[in-house]
Amino acid sequence: MTTVHDKSTDAPVDVTDPRLSRFEIVKEGARRDEIEIVTYESQFHGTDSKAEKRVVRNIALLFLIAGVGGFAFLGFYIWWPWRFELGDTLSDYYTPLLGISLAVSLFGVGFGILAWAKKLLPHEVSIQQRHNDPSPSDEQLITGQTMLFVADELGQGVQRRPLLKGAIAIGMAPIGLAAAAPLIGGLIENPHKDDPPIMFSTGFNKAHNGGNLVRLTRDDGSPIRPDDVSTGGQMTVFPGIPGGATNEWADSPTLLIHLRPDDAQLTRENADADVRNKGSMWGDYVAYSKICTHAGCPASLYEQQTNRLLCPCHQSQFLITRNAQPIFGPATRRLPMLPLGVDEEGFFVAKSDYKDTVGPDFWERP
Amino acid sequence: MTSGSPAGRWRFRGVLARRRTAPSRARRRLGAAARMLAALALAGGVYTAFAPGAFAEDTTQLSATAQEGKQLYDNSCITCHGRDAQGVTGRGPSLIGVGSASVEFQVGTGRMPMTRQEAQAEEKKPQFDKTQTKQLGQYIQELGGGPQLPSDGKYTEDLKENPEALARGGELFRVNCTSCHGFGGGGGALSSGKYAPALHDASPETLYAAMLTGPQNMPVFGDNQLTPEQKREIITYVTVQLQQDKDPGGLFNLGRYGPVTEGLAIFGVGITILVFTALWIAGKS
Amino acid sequence: MKRKKVDLAQAPVTFAKGVDERYKAATPLRGLLNKVFPDHWSFLLGEIALFSFIILLLTGVFLTLFFDPSMKEVAYEGPYSALRGTEMSAAYESSLRLSFEVRGGLFMRQMHHWAALLFMASIVVHMARIFFTGAFRKPREANWAIGVVLFLLGFLAGFTGYSLPDDGLSGTGLRIASAIMLSIPVAGTWISASIFGGEFPGHLIIGRFYIAHVLLIPGGLLALISVHLGLVFAQKHTQWPGPMRTNTNVVGERMFPRYALKQGGFFMAVFGTVALMAGLFQINPIWLFGPYRASEVSSASQPDWYVMFMDGLVRLMPNWQIYIGDYSIPPLFWPAVVGLGALTTVPMFYPWIEARRLKDKTVHNLLQRPRDNPERVGIGAMSLAFFMVATLSGGNDVIADKFHISLNAMTWAGRIGLLILPPLAYYISVRVCLGLQQHDREVLAHGVETGIIRRLPNGQFIEVHQPLGPVDDHGHPIPLEYGGWVVPKKMNRVGALAPAIKGFFFPVEKPAEAPVSPGMPPVTGQEKREEITTGR
Repeated sequence: MTTVHDKSTDAPVDVTDPRLSRFEIVKEGARRDEIEIVTYESQFHGTDSKAEKRVVRNIALLFLIAGVGGFAFLGFYIWWPWRFELGDTLSDYYTPLLGISLAVSLFGVGFGILAWAKKLLPHEVSIQQRHNDPSPSDEQLITGQTMLFVADELGQGVQRRPLLKGAIAIGMAPIGLAAAAPLIGGLIENPHKDDPPIMFSTGFNKAHNGGNLVRLTRDDGSPIRPDDVSTGGQMTVFPGIPGGATNEWADSPTLLIHLRPDDAQLTRENADADVRNKGSMWGDYVAYSKICTHAGCPASLYEQQTNRLLCPCHQSQFLITRNAQPIFGPATRRLPMLPLGVDEEGFFVAKSDYKDTVGPDFWERP
Repeated sequence: MTSGSPAGRWRFRGVLARRRTAPSRARRRLGAAARMLAALALAGGVYTAFAPGAFAEDTTQLSATAQEGKQLYDNSCITCHGRDAQGVTGRGPSLIGVGSASVEFQVGTGRMPMTRQEAQAEEKKPQFDKTQTKQLGQYIQELGGGPQLPSDGKYTEDLKENPEALARGGELFRVNCTSCHGFGGGGGALSSGKYAPALHDASPETLYAAMLTGPQNMPVFGDNQLTPEQKREIITYVTVQLQQDKDPGGLFNLGRYGPVTEGLAIFGVGITILVFTALWIAGKS
Repeated sequence: MKRKKVDLAQAPVTFAKGVDERYKAATPLRGLLNKVFPDHWSFLLGEIALFSFIILLLTGVFLTLFFDPSMKEVAYEGPYSALRGTEMSAAYESSLRLSFEVRGGLFMRQMHHWAALLFMASIVVHMARIFFTGAFRKPREANWAIGVVLFLLGFLAGFTGYSLPDDGLSGTGLRIASAIMLSIPVAGTWISASIFGGEFPGHLIIGRFYIAHVLLIPGGLLALISVHLGLVFAQKHTQWPGPMRTNTNVVGERMFPRYALKQGGFFMAVFGTVALMAGLFQINPIWLFGPYRASEVSSASQPDWYVMFMDGLVRLMPNWQIYIGDYSIPPLFWPAVVGLGALTTVPMFYPWIEARRLKDKTVHNLLQRPRDNPERVGIGAMSLAFFMVATLSGGNDVIADKFHISLNAMTWAGRIGLLILPPLAYYISVRVCLGLQQHDREVLAHGVETGIIRRLPNGQFIEVHQPLGPVDDHGHPIPLEYGGWVVPKKMNRVGALAPAIKGFFFPVEKPAEAPVSPGMPPVTGQEKREEITTGR
């Protein structure tokens, strides 16, 4: 066991002295950085210690493992079948094999280095002084005065010369605004500019169908007859206009529900008692907006026995039989009801657009 | 859209739409007639069912299989569903018109008979074997009619003959099924303790019966809404893509839930490994 | 010939001299090589974040080579048969291509995602360490605030990254983000329309998020991480109290050779862990989620874990809407805008708040054991309890489903838990800290319990205590001053037995095995030292 502790380092050392060992020069360097190397001792007894040999063997092993892992990674990367195939195929193991072999390799290198640092390198305790004191007061003073001097030169110069002051104010403000203008002006969009206004209308608005009533369609564009939806069934429907089922009309998806007769009766009574929803059902069918009034997820988990609609994002629950009023969760507003009708060809149409605003709430919603 | 592609998409849709919106006059008439016949038949069946008194002695009309089924019914189901499947208020619904498909689903997956009344009947080991289930189904079918599983026993599409079935099934699955059963088919919670079960172990037959009959809180997907072919496509997607296909992204798929299980994994595995490594690095040797 | 040989051997020296003549690097370089760092496992937690950020940069650059941030609609024609022929955005299509048609692309994507999760997780763990040990006190307040900003930037980087593939899940997240913007009073619709370039989802958002995700946010992260580390360098690392350690020194290892080597090894270990997780665990399978459609959703739709606390708060918020004439403020506004704003800015000011409350203006380079500031621990425990309840509520549907609990019950449990658990956590942790403090003082005053029971002549039984310091004339221990560091409480910690555990859970310098202090005579062994340290 060797321990180094030498108080004589207080005196400056002539580092050019050829008799000095390299370590002594290192110590002198540390001293100049206000570091005292308290202990720097080998972790082993003697030059030929068995423990040391074991550690060296282990570290060598770790690096060898790293090499094997690296080669394995390359091998897998190049030769393992990697193209996606359906079913339980070899290619499904491509990513796991890459991950495991790379991890083995990296862990090998990492723990090899760590073991080297931890077990092989001498144990060290050094003490470095730190200086918590602020700069000397005269330094603070000088720098402070320098900064004030600069401010004076520029500031008072402007103060003394009112013309300059005005000119700078008039000249600089537009430049600042000019820099901000493209950013703000380019990004800004008026949400209320369209007619019909996008915030308050959906694809079921007649305006989007040349003034004709808009049919309800499936996502492939095919219209729907009443008997396409079984009792106790539901269907996601879209406005029958070009692109009606695309994200162009993200507020338009609607849930068409065929209620059982007694539930339908109750729903009708409640709907007819409401000013906006009056007469919006067609037979035992009711259509509600699929877009949650809370955060806009599709509130589409339809429970056909309890007649609830659940939104999977924040668990708002709406009661279908009671005008889709929220009965649980963070939503405040009921789901808007689409006024349903059937055209002369026997397909579902929207008698008008939604009477309530579809989608998440916002400030200026009436 | 910045390019003309949505228009292309619409054109594609338009073709389909035209075909669906304007079938020939003759075809429309034919369809109307068929629907009329079906409605009449259904009305008759319902009437028969709702007037049991008049046919009280008609049990003799039951086929031999249904007779066996009635035996089983009277032993195991009658307590809750009542005599002749009329239902018992507060215990079990009437089974008139639910069809043999319902029985196949409920009894075949062990959900019925229930062990106790709870929010939702749970899947468990079936109490009746396949023949007994068939017999029960036959009995309920003959009693009140209702949806039946297809007699050809074909529940999936052959991907060799019809390779597009998988993608179409996936599209239908995401429109109709994922909101409750999840993108990965892992199931999900419904309100107040109810849940949509995971689809990992569901057989094609069970899936078909479930869509056809809408058990418990599941909506009904009748043959008008999802044609038998579309049902088979969905089942193909579920069985091939969700059940049989091994996940390509790792040995463990974390239930395909995404964020929740990933969050557990990053703390349970990632941070744990590294904190122990840090302890080892800084530990005194 | 001979001269050339000499030149070769001397080349490095010549080169180094040349460099110094030009850049005058010798002194600062030596300072760097010699810089002393304290050694404790908890000081390595922040490094995990740094290293995962490096991995994020490396894997992220790879991903940009293949990703197409466009919302143009295309039909998929790749090898993944379950989506063939499906219409999707080019962004989603290129994510699928990256996963299935680029060799090793899926692995890189998974590494990127796991490294992102690890980045945020290690930031949280690192912040907890800083907080509970009081490392944020003067002079390091600004660095704490920078750390909080780094969390917020990581949060934004994570959310924008989550949105890029434009799959069914990320589209749902975007939809909620748009609803959150809409909920802002007065300007909500204008903000949402401006960011999405019209009505949700528009055609621009993926491109805008892309530039934010690959340039703006990483640029900010890189700049702030540099400042963060620069300050740690300039102010020198804090250290635990202990033998030799004072407020005006750093006790540890010099940067070279040992400390830097350990850092390098640890980087490899972090990299290895990310690679292992990327190989073992599948991250969200976007190919099952399908392209985003406004009408499609999945049960268990969640944001990534570090956003989950916000989603949880949104779930727990009661449906209280404020009506002002014809206008209204939806309930979404409070948890998502005010909540997120408060939760990311208030903690930033904690160092100044605490200093003001304690009227503490001194410089602290020594850490505090958590028990020595019970109130801080209480506040920390309270915040963690709040964060945990909110985060768990963000996944309450999955918990409800897997453990067969009612979903409604989970929401109510969250609402009540959010109010009850934080104060409870505060009370319990403060009591625990006070108890630990008291026990420390007791041991210092009376000594270590030896477990030896002695019967006195009068029949009384007493337990013999081993004094830790000198005793007075009556043999009673003289109470010792508390030094802010571990008090030995077991006999084998004061050398009664061989140490039972080989210092795995304990810091490097255990008091019982304290290294030779400056006052102690050196153990001689010059020759051997020379053998180790002298070069050829």
